[in-house]
Amino acid sequence: MSTPDRRSVGELLADSEALARETLLDATLEQAPAMVRSWNQLVGSAADLWAVLPSTAQNPSGSDLMERLRVIGESIGRSVTAGHWPGEGPAEQHLMEIAENLSRARHLVERPARNFQPTTPEKQPDIQGPSAQVMHTLYVAAHGTAVALNAYVADLKDRLEMGRRRRQLMAERPTALEIAEAQGVIARFGGFEQLAAAYLFGQPRISANPGLVRSAALATRLGSALAVWEIQAHRTMTAGPDPADLVRVARVQVLITTTTGILTEAAARNGHVDRDMIQQLGPALEANQVAWSRAAKRWGELTNPASRTDPALVAAASEVRAAIAATATNQAGWATPDQLASRVDLLAAVKSLHLSMVASVDIAHVVRDAAADHPGLSAPARMIGMRAQGEAEIAIEQGETGYEGVTWTTRRRIATNQLIPLPEPARRGLINLADDVIATTNHAVAAAAQLDPSDVRRPIRSGDGVHRGRSAESLQITTRPHDPAPKGPRR
Amino acid sequence: MSLQPIDADTAETLAGVVRLLRRAAELVWKTVDADGAGSPRQLLALGIDLAADEARNLLPDALATDGPVPVGHDPAGLLRSAEQLLRRMDTQRTGTALHVLWVRLADLVWEANTGVDT
Repeated sequence: MSTPDRRSVGELLADSEALARETLLDATLEQAPAMVRSWNQLVGSAADLWAVLPSTAQNPSGSDLMERLRVIGESIGRSVTAGHWPGEGPAEQHLMEIAENLSRARHLVERPARNFQPTTPEKQPDIQGPSAQVMHTLYVAAHGTAVALNAYVADLKDRLEMGRRRRQLMAERPTALEIAEAQGVIARFGGFEQLAAAYLFGQPRISANPGLVRSAALATRLGSALAVWEIQAHRTMTAGPDPADLVRVARVQVLITTTTGILTEAAARNGHVDRDMIQQLGPALEANQVAWSRAAKRWGELTNPASRTDPALVAAASEVRAAIAATATNQAGWATPDQLASRVDLLAAVKSLHLSMVASVDIAHVVRDAAADHPGLSAPARMIGMRAQGEAEIAIEQGETGYEGVTWTTRRRIATNQLIPLPEPARRGLINLADDVIATTNHAVAAAAQLDPSDVRRPIRSGDGVHRGRSAESLQITTRPHDPAPKGPRR
Repeated sequence: MSLQPIDADTAETLAGVVRLLRRAAELVWKTVDADGAGSPRQLLALGIDLAADEARNLLPDALATDGPVPVGHDPAGLLRSAEQLLRRMDTQRTGTALHVLWVRLADLVWEANTGVDT
């Protein structure tokens, strides 16, 4: 018979944080798949607790952020359930234990107030509140998972290379697809980690100067609009989206990317951002805009007169558009750098946009999942028949024999332009475009590395230069929340 | 999934508004593509797309919005036509959602005429 758990909320949070640190310290490549599988449950428990914590009720921006983290956790969970890497399998015990602790803490908080005792100074001398403690737990656990994933990918690459040298059977080697999928998951965890860091290290300061308050208000409106957009985009795309929804998501992402470039340029001219960085970021953002635009056009081919866009997505997109128009335009087009500097808190706005760019890595992955897995995708026969044929010819030129001699639609369907299920080559084309979006987004995030609001970040890793097991990078995440500068390890 | 019941004439007119807006958006997106990355006209194009989405979402699922492609190559003119169609419907009487849509279209006409798309 097990003994009842008599830990207080404070003790449960402290234990969870300690477990997260252990996860990081002991991170090994073998644990990586299980950690990914456990992630959705961990984040779900954290978000549920967050919703009932008294300290978060006064902080709507923190709640927005936690909601952003929740939808990323859910989308990672859905990818796994849909059969993408790492697929079904065992969960990771440390992370599951943290999830259980956080769930238990939520039950205690929801019971009479006497159960809610702040962490004792002896146990946790350097945490400012339970909400920061929950966020720090997620932050450290995300980093630990990224460390394990990097080790896992490095091992796969080594084994693949060794297999080639020893001429092992193909079936005995890791596949390039597995490596690519695991690298994609690393980027998603990187984005998650940076969003959590933004809460821990990037809390905005309140100013008494009315002019600064006005310019901060525009930046806040933009930040809120972007946060709501990310959450809604995830929700719409994981609920059987219409192709029209994907067109709208891609178009809004183009607009956000364009705005990121314009405001970052203005921030550089005003000395807020290193000018050298713009040399790298500008082309990276442009490539990302082109990739999203191509995706929008291709998804547009799947729409038909009856298509409709999710009303909630329309509302979120409208607010992003309105916030960007108010912040960054004049009657002649984009506002000049001087106008922008006088109108908006440039640094705050740029950080919001950068965070949005980081979060868009996950949006790009959800778009890819929709392209790969959405069972109900259909399209008008004329356009998609031609598209499927074109994609098939490209694949045949690249050695794919399965498409040779295949007809993708019928004359009758073309004559009536009937809606037909999406042929495989057309689906493959959408996946390839989503891969371009993912790659260009990762590149842009890396190019903007120094804009990270935590001031302790490193660029999202693309899988190269990875570490095995415990990483030297992990020393960087030991900063105390809300400290002006990192002071040293806190594990 | 319309927000409130609408009569057949209103629905028919609204379907025409959807077609006008979709055509206007298509034309502005072509200009955006020609401009290249970073075009400020994408704000107008996205605004028209979203207005078309709103109009479409006011119509019942059963009502087809397909029909003849509106004549004309001037996005501002197409927007004006859509706005005038809605104005004739006395949107204040027919419902809040239609009135909100009319206000949005009036804004877009203004943007198309005075903004970066002139």
